[in-house]
Amino acid sequence: MTQETAQHQSEQEPTDLQVDTSAQTEGPPEGGAQLTDSGRARRVLVRLLRVAYPHERFPDGPYERTAAAVEDAAHSNAADDRALTQGLAGLDRAAGGDFLALDDAAAEALLRDRADEYFFRRIRSTAAVVLYDNADVWELVGYEGPSYALGGYIDRGFDDLDWLPHPRIEEYPGEPRVELVESQSQETAR
Amino acid sequence: MTAVDEVARHGSPVEQSEPVVVIIGSGAGGGTLAYELTRQGATCVVLEAGPYLTQDDWVNDEWEAFGQMAWLDMRTTSGSWRIARDFPNLPAWIVKAVGGSTTHWSGATPRFMTHEFKARTTYGQVDGASLLDWPITLEDLAPYYDRAEQAMGSTHRHGRPPLPANNNYIVFANGAEKIGYRYYATGPYGTNATPYDGRPASIQDGFNFQGDKNGSKWSTLVREIPRALETGKLDLRPNCQAVRITHDATGKVDAVEYLDANGALQRQAARVVCVAGNSIETPRLLLMSASGQHPDGLANSSGQVGRNYMRHLTGSAYARFERPVRMYRGETMAGIVADEAKHDTSRGFAGGFYMETLSLGPAFMASFLEPGGWGREFTSWMDSYDHLAGMWIVGEDMPQPSNRVTLNTDVKDQHGLPVPNVHFDDHPNDVAMRTYAYDAADQLYGAVGALGVHHTPPYPATHNLGTCRMSADPADGVVDRWGRAHDVTNLYVSDGSVMTTGAAANPTLTIVALAIRQAEHLLEEMRQGSL
Repeated sequence: MTQETAQHQSEQEPTDLQVDTSAQTEGPPEGGAQLTDSGRARRVLVRLLRVAYPHERFPDGPYERTAAAVEDAAHSNAADDRALTQGLAGLDRAAGGDFLALDDAAAEALLRDRADEYFFRRIRSTAAVVLYDNADVWELVGYEGPSYALGGYIDRGFDDLDWLPHPRIEEYPGEPRVELVESQSQETAR
Repeated sequence: MTAVDEVARHGSPVEQSEPVVVIIGSGAGGGTLAYELTRQGATCVVLEAGPYLTQDDWVNDEWEAFGQMAWLDMRTTSGSWRIARDFPNLPAWIVKAVGGSTTHWSGATPRFMTHEFKARTTYGQVDGASLLDWPITLEDLAPYYDRAEQAMGSTHRHGRPPLPANNNYIVFANGAEKIGYRYYATGPYGTNATPYDGRPASIQDGFNFQGDKNGSKWSTLVREIPRALETGKLDLRPNCQAVRITHDATGKVDAVEYLDANGALQRQAARVVCVAGNSIETPRLLLMSASGQHPDGLANSSGQVGRNYMRHLTGSAYARFERPVRMYRGETMAGIVADEAKHDTSRGFAGGFYMETLSLGPAFMASFLEPGGWGREFTSWMDSYDHLAGMWIVGEDMPQPSNRVTLNTDVKDQHGLPVPNVHFDDHPNDVAMRTYAYDAADQLYGAVGALGVHHTPPYPATHNLGTCRMSADPADGVVDRWGRAHDVTNLYVSDGSVMTTGAAANPTLTIVALAIRQAEHLLEEMRQGSL
């Protein structure tokens, strides 16, 4: 997946979908807190992803690889890099020093306050793609992935839904559909 | 990425100095036109901006396929539509490859209705809308609809059998029946239920948006392009981006300038130019072709080039059920409810809409279900993925002169050319129809026990229409009843840009029918020596 991630980020797709990349100037102002502990930043980021995208069934792996992709995306642009570092440090500060110590509700509340901040929007634009674009997660949500090499689903349950009757597939055999219903006002107007 | 050499030409080489029919784009319009002309002896050059991908290149992976197929050149957006915020550089979800967006379409093939060709007369004056009647009627187009359906192998038509019900359709059709809808079926749909025209039957493998590796789905890539190449009359040039159409002193277009795969500027002489670059690139090219004679853009004396951009109503509804659905198994859109495809103002809006089954994989679902979404409500839908059923809502949106493709000279593409900006505001009629349609979706799924229904907002448009509309009066539009530019006798538009109004139906069938009709016209004009 690491290679695929790198490939995805080589161009303006798809993790940039929700960010306007037409101008190079977007991002936070210069200055501010600098990265001092990248291990800490990673742990805060993973926790942020868990709180923002809570799935009881997901192990740490999907969140870890998503965090790595978020960091890679930020590294491609100095302003994004700064925004991420500052944003994560800001979460720690707002939590009284330790974002990791907050329970789910408190952590989510902090994120709600920051829903429109650039760093968090940027994280989401990457995370929404990367977290769910992997077979580890597909299996957990009940998706079977590529099908062509397996012969499609023609013999593997494309119509195995058994809690409703099988409906008609042909078009309605009765009178043709009325396509134009004359309204009172139209008739009056004439 | 492409299996085919990037600079390779395909078919029979044509000298650049030889004035031939030059077709820009190889999708539903351009690909069809190329086949219809070459099979009857006319030499054509097709300039296709994207690579020549084939069935072997396509992948059963949503984002990988998106990166491979989608038109990702920089674009900008403005206006009050949510796309400008959610996907600021992706107003449209179309394909940059041989076959164009026919490789991405899912396959629904309803015809336009009689009254939809007379939208202004039927709907009357709608404030803020620039409605106009088409200069042609359903009667004019009917024979070409027949030919288009036969080319595509539309199910339920001309003896073609219906596709079977997949899981998503079973939920959809049962819900439809329960709330009193009658006009539901698994088609018409341009994918084979049984082998037809050299293409195999569907193996219900899904991934219609990703090309369809099985080749059961009609596209110009699998039908018209290879057949046109076989005639010996086609020179297909992939990876060639048209940048300007030139004209001579008499005002006739005489060549197309394009950038080849190496970025070198080339010039192909032209007898006729047919522009089929989809409704964003087509007006962009005309605007970039401004000249002394055409200061506001080629063929733009009306000022209508780029205006009246339509993208269909769109919206999706995903319903969660107690028991599994597995909507992703099988054909993506082989289910249509037509009961609401009517003009009935008692519903509070003009025009109508279709409901069509739709499935996305988890990767796309996460990006499009609720763009920017996060938190427990969002993830609860993802957790329910295999218990979801889905539908797309496709209906007529109102043309508005301010919904418009323009050149954004502040932002340049990879070639240094101004990018297209797409400005869009919903019309109140669009909002009223969408609200009604979401409610209808709630009722349909509620009738079969949905635990909840999520309303997904419009995402980047696959149906891009208008921007060079067809009109009887040259003051009202860009092209005439044949798609010929009012201002330039040998310049044609051959894609969905020509649509005077958008109707409710998925547009591909109509684009193909119009292209077959235009080809007949072009051949006749060339025979008579007037082109």
